[in-house]
Amino acid sequence: MMTRKDKLFFISLLPLSSSLLTILVLSIATVALKSLDSLQTFGLNLLISSTWNPERGVYGFLAPLIGSVTTSILAVITALFLSLPLTIIIAEYLRGIVKNVVSSIVELMGGMPTIIYAVWASQYLVPFLKEFIMEPLHNVFKFIPLFSCRPITGFSIFASGISIGISIVPYVTAIILEAHQSIPLAYREACYGIGATRYESIKIMLSLARPAIVAALILGFARSLGETTIAAVTVGNSMYLSSCLFAPGYTVSALIASQFANAHLYPYAESVLYASILFVMMISIALSFYGSSTIIRWRSRIVV
Amino acid sequence: MYSWRKIREKLFTFTIILLSLLAIAPIIHMIIVVSINGIVTFVKAGTSFFTGLPPTPLSQEIGGIAPSIIGTLLMTAISLPITITLAIFAAILATEFPKNPISVAIDAIAKSLASIPTIAVSMIVYTVVVVPMKGFSALAGALALTIVALPYAYTYFSTALRSVPAVYREAALSVAMSRWGTVIRVLIPIARNGIAIGVLMTMARIMGETAALLFTAGRFRNRVSITPSKPVDAVPLLIFDYILSPYDIWHQVAWGATAFLLLAYIAIFFAVKLIVKEVKL
Repeated sequence: MMTRKDKLFFISLLPLSSSLLTILVLSIATVALKSLDSLQTFGLNLLISSTWNPERGVYGFLAPLIGSVTTSILAVITALFLSLPLTIIIAEYLRGIVKNVVSSIVELMGGMPTIIYAVWASQYLVPFLKEFIMEPLHNVFKFIPLFSCRPITGFSIFASGISIGISIVPYVTAIILEAHQSIPLAYREACYGIGATRYESIKIMLSLARPAIVAALILGFARSLGETTIAAVTVGNSMYLSSCLFAPGYTVSALIASQFANAHLYPYAESVLYASILFVMMISIALSFYGSSTIIRWRSRIVV
Repeated sequence: MYSWRKIREKLFTFTIILLSLLAIAPIIHMIIVVSINGIVTFVKAGTSFFTGLPPTPLSQEIGGIAPSIIGTLLMTAISLPITITLAIFAAILATEFPKNPISVAIDAIAKSLASIPTIAVSMIVYTVVVVPMKGFSALAGALALTIVALPYAYTYFSTALRSVPAVYREAALSVAMSRWGTVIRVLIPIARNGIAIGVLMTMARIMGETAALLFTAGRFRNRVSITPSKPVDAVPLLIFDYILSPYDIWHQVAWGATAFLLLAYIAIFFAVKLIVKEVKL
């Protein structure tokens, strides 16, 4: 039970604290109300067509939605290939000042404004990827639909996925590293005790941490879905739906970044854009909760 | 001789080192190219880069980014105190009453807020504030920044407050300090380093945010404006608009602005590192 004084203290904190709730409710209500109009008018057509013609009042955001999901999958794969080694090297190989420097660099990457990534990606990474990754892949694996088109400018779903992936590396690394550090020392001692090599011990550690690693990737996916700045400058901004990763495309957030400012000129355009972000928001919030609750459950089981 | 286990061990170590270098390479390359391109712009433009106006697409002079810098400072000055106040109250509530359903809810709410895409925040503020006010404004921009930064600040502050050992709270209460007195005179002073870090990182987040400002701040860069109810510009917005433009002069301005933003961010980062070091002593 709370005493009277406790209650007063609690109540004095309440008004400002509840601002978070107010903001959340207001935000979700706004997005839901605004998208209602287009959801009622166009219904499922929004999800199954990718025609975008504001003048004729025809809308469908299948292409950007698929673009968002594809770039996020690519981003997560990139992040996995870079974060896992980074975690292992910080946690198992490095000691002392080198470890401090490397983990500081990862932290520095983590807080870096995304616009700086965007500038770097659009001016250096995209041309680099085009010349050294996309063109060779296209020349060798032309018969695979994913690589079937010649990269023209380089600005594409593929480039966007890799760029976003690089930007979420520090985020994913931080989550995996924290999970790795919460594995009790006894497991590692047991590994070395039976004569395991470092590789074998790391393999066992990673298999213990697998649920947390998967959760970290899910959280990374949720974050990449909403990423705007990097997507908008690398994805190439084209409404054309293609099975090829090297073709320019759209993500939902890039579509909004380029269309929302003029959307009030056309009937329904604003509402359709709201509907598109509603989907992204719901996926993103659901995945964040799933990811973070998985980690909490995993930690309570692993810590003995 | 060499067994498969030993070879595998060596191969594994080699791969791990290679991939880690690959993971670090982007940031190193990024810092180098931003610095080089930025310095070129700074040298060409001189000090007027911080006091002048952006060039027209066909102009020969680089000019400056004063409206963007002032806009960013103005919106940060409005947004940061609000964000910190709201976040610290929520963090105190969540740490002082950890079992209360409202505190548990606040944690979940902060998590949901953090996963709303920042572009959605921009749209929401556009609809709720910009349209009724009949125009873009620094206030709308600052509000969008507050919504984006609030969950981050909350996470930093609640982590800082939670890290204070329970004995301090018990000691303060046992000498008949009030709950508020305990928080203000004992808990916050003990957690001050964590809170300072939270303030700095929130500031970095606010300064560097782009998407939240797209439909709120107004991209007004014809002259310096310090009226909160009028449209303003921000450094990230200027970079976003200029870097993909076809004009070479705008590219140069964008590089200069990016270098300026990077410098500001690194300065904040080192300040944070200094505070962290102080804790260890």
